[in-house]
Amino acid sequence: MRSLHLIAVVAIAAGAAALAAAIGNDYYLRIGFMMCVYYLCAAGMNVLVGYAGQKSLGQAGLFAAGAYGAALLSTSLDMNAWVALGAAAVIAGLCGVLIAWPSLRVKGPYLAMVTLAFGIVVEKLVSEWTEVFGGAEGIYNIKPLAVAGVPFTNLHWVWFGIVLAVITHLLLRNLLTGRFGRAFLSLQADEIAAESVGVSVYRYKILAFVIAAVTCGIAGAMVAQQNQYLNSDFISFNLSIFILLLVLFGGSGSLYGPLIGAIALTLIDALLARWPPIQHFAYGGLLLFSLYAMPNGVAGLFARFFAKKPTAVPVQASAEKTEAPARRKDDQSRPLLEVASVSKNFGGVRPANDVTFRLQLGHVHALIGPNGAGKSTMINMISGVLTPSSGRIAFLGSEIGGLESHGICRLGVGRTFQNLRLFASLSVLENVLLGQHCRMKNGFWSSLFALPLAHREEAAANARALSILDTLGLRELAQTPAGSLPYGLQRRVELARALATEPQLLLLDEPAAGLNPQETSELGKLIVQISKLGITILMVEHHMDLVMAISDHVIVLDYGIKIAEGTPSVVQSDKRVIEAYLGAEAA
Amino acid sequence: MLIAVLQAVASGLAVGGAYALIALGFSITFTTTKTLNFSHGDFVSVGSFIGVTVLWLLLGMPINAPLAGVTISVWQQLVAAVVTVTVVGLVGVALYFLAVKPFAGKPGMSWVMTTIGFGIILTSIGLAVWGPSQLVVPSPVGDDTIRIAGVGIRPQEILMFVVAIIVMAVLDGVMHRTIMGKAMRAVAHDQRVASLMGINVTAVMVGAFFLSSALAGLSGFLIAPIASASLYVGLSIALKGFSGAIIGGLSNPRGCVLGGFALGVLESLVNLWQAQWREIVVFLLVILVLAVRPYGLLGFRTVEKV
Repeated sequence: MRSLHLIAVVAIAAGAAALAAAIGNDYYLRIGFMMCVYYLCAAGMNVLVGYAGQKSLGQAGLFAAGAYGAALLSTSLDMNAWVALGAAAVIAGLCGVLIAWPSLRVKGPYLAMVTLAFGIVVEKLVSEWTEVFGGAEGIYNIKPLAVAGVPFTNLHWVWFGIVLAVITHLLLRNLLTGRFGRAFLSLQADEIAAESVGVSVYRYKILAFVIAAVTCGIAGAMVAQQNQYLNSDFISFNLSIFILLLVLFGGSGSLYGPLIGAIALTLIDALLARWPPIQHFAYGGLLLFSLYAMPNGVAGLFARFFAKKPTAVPVQASAEKTEAPARRKDDQSRPLLEVASVSKNFGGVRPANDVTFRLQLGHVHALIGPNGAGKSTMINMISGVLTPSSGRIAFLGSEIGGLESHGICRLGVGRTFQNLRLFASLSVLENVLLGQHCRMKNGFWSSLFALPLAHREEAAANARALSILDTLGLRELAQTPAGSLPYGLQRRVELARALATEPQLLLLDEPAAGLNPQETSELGKLIVQISKLGITILMVEHHMDLVMAISDHVIVLDYGIKIAEGTPSVVQSDKRVIEAYLGAEAA
Repeated sequence: MLIAVLQAVASGLAVGGAYALIALGFSITFTTTKTLNFSHGDFVSVGSFIGVTVLWLLLGMPINAPLAGVTISVWQQLVAAVVTVTVVGLVGVALYFLAVKPFAGKPGMSWVMTTIGFGIILTSIGLAVWGPSQLVVPSPVGDDTIRIAGVGIRPQEILMFVVAIIVMAVLDGVMHRTIMGKAMRAVAHDQRVASLMGINVTAVMVGAFFLSSALAGLSGFLIAPIASASLYVGLSIALKGFSGAIIGGLSNPRGCVLGGFALGVLESLVNLWQAQWREIVVFLLVILVLAVRPYGLLGFRTVEKV
């Protein structure tokens, strides 16, 4: 499959290269070259926009970083053109980090503003700081790429562009079809859920920005070197918009979208270049209506025509049975989780007030209390969504209060959410595979180059995810988008995802909410089954039947204060508990 | 030196008035529809040209005739202002139906692209009608500089400032005291609930876009005599208005207005020091502010319940 794709790509590229050689007309070659350049911009941008879901309106700034990097290094510092090209990629990548840093904290229109401001700052910098960047007059005599002292001809440039495009495509495909692609998609779908399965939102956002920056920077450097001239007119807000349009028009989130966008828009650009007013108008129309007619771009349109039959599940008959994460035979008396005098304030509201409890290895614990008692807040503090205002939370003896969610997940705490947080557009299998994210060992480079480690890890994760789906009776639905399932099944998928993180402690926030009695009793059995695997459970639940039937230990909160704890029978007869639930007079 | 600084502050406040009007426009659409009009700048420039065009029509002059030295009466100016505000407001309604409505509330922020597209089309039409050249527009209140304590202020700058303040005070009152304003704020808070309470959400949103665009038209009309009308000037003005809104906090209209004025003054002061650096400084500041306060200086952070 993979080699078939490789052969096809190489064949197409060779065909394109041969076509370029046959044409030989400088004007057409120039168009071919620009297609490659724009493809590079779009391919990286697709990772940022289509996968990680971050809009950037300042891509021209990164293009400029690459272009001016290459130009200045090869003129002022007299650097070899090849080295300058490499250095330009690095410079652009660093600029990517620079712009990612403020972008991490802002969302939506604020993110658009930060990236837009970055683009404008760069644009103004290169046009106004003439001593360094030459402004509108520009930089001349930029060294072109050369082999054995012979500078590239136009045909060579096209060939070089095609080679780079092929490499970029293959590498990004490696990256995006596995662990990293899923992690990027999870950011777009739901950052909090992504953190809960061990995806570091920070790291992956920065990575997406850097990938987009590097490809854009290389594209910029190539333009500077091919023209052997660069001035501030190359860098404009319109370029930023154009790069974004390449992706959106072609189809964001599709591997081939950027290619379609680059070819189509470069052609349109060239065809209309003779009539600037019409060209302008056409761009406006494309921007305005293409998203309307094709929300997923041209690639999305194709996909709808050749609607994929749900690809047969990669059935690697899960030979390895779910080996229960070997029940740790640690000292049973040592608490798995210790919550000591934890408080949380939201302004004047205190959903947790000096709460102390311990969770015992292998037990099923329930956290109950009336609405507003601070149960979800407690779960959120343990899982790192919230930071306790004071107090200490220790997991296996080490402090976790204030750690980030993904780190806590990695340590072995999995969770589900009160209001489902599935990655709705991803398939059930992908959701569960994301649960495996933090247990997979293939890093960036091994994924990028599709090294054997990446293959092994991907296969292992797949097998494990499928066996979890088997256990929960979801195997048939593996390829169904999670968001399209009925509510009860979505709850179960979320549980499967949490289990896939291979937790020692599983936090369930109202797992039975919205389930009918039959589903609730099935869930009860399932929880007992999970606990038998050696996974400790802390669940927040309102269904008292369920709580009393399966819990070993119950903790009762009321207005952020722990009012009772003990075995179900002890708690049931506690005076304060009855008061809290039924009011003082009933007691 | 002091006089130079005062001078800069005075003209900064005038331009800041335009920024504030624009910032308020951004805030209005953002709070009601969670979308922004990224072609706001084109609305500003088109606004100034529509104003001039009405003047040409009223004076019986051909399009693109020079206006310098022509006497224009007050009623003609007023008619031009009213027509400009109305027409640009209606263009905003068109924008809403074409570019915003299909995408509002959906993930992916497609409206960024569609509103930019709408703006490009608008500019293309504008270029076809009025051409790319700059146009000197006479001020309705005269062009003689007034000197106050050594600081020279053009009457138009005072007008700009005063009108901006009045418009914003009126809008603030409307938003907080009338049932219409309450409906807008209800939609801003939660569309679905507002709709369940019998508020016509679409009408409110259309109104928001009309109002926001009308403000853009007004600022275009008022700034033309200061900055001279050109189809390219809008972008940078609107970007600074946008920056003002972002710095102040999009969710807080009063913050946006303050942000707009602050930005105008800041830009004017930087201009005093190094003219070509002012945009760089302004936008670097925006990035910095957002890095520290992701929802603007006076914005409200929305906490997501988990």
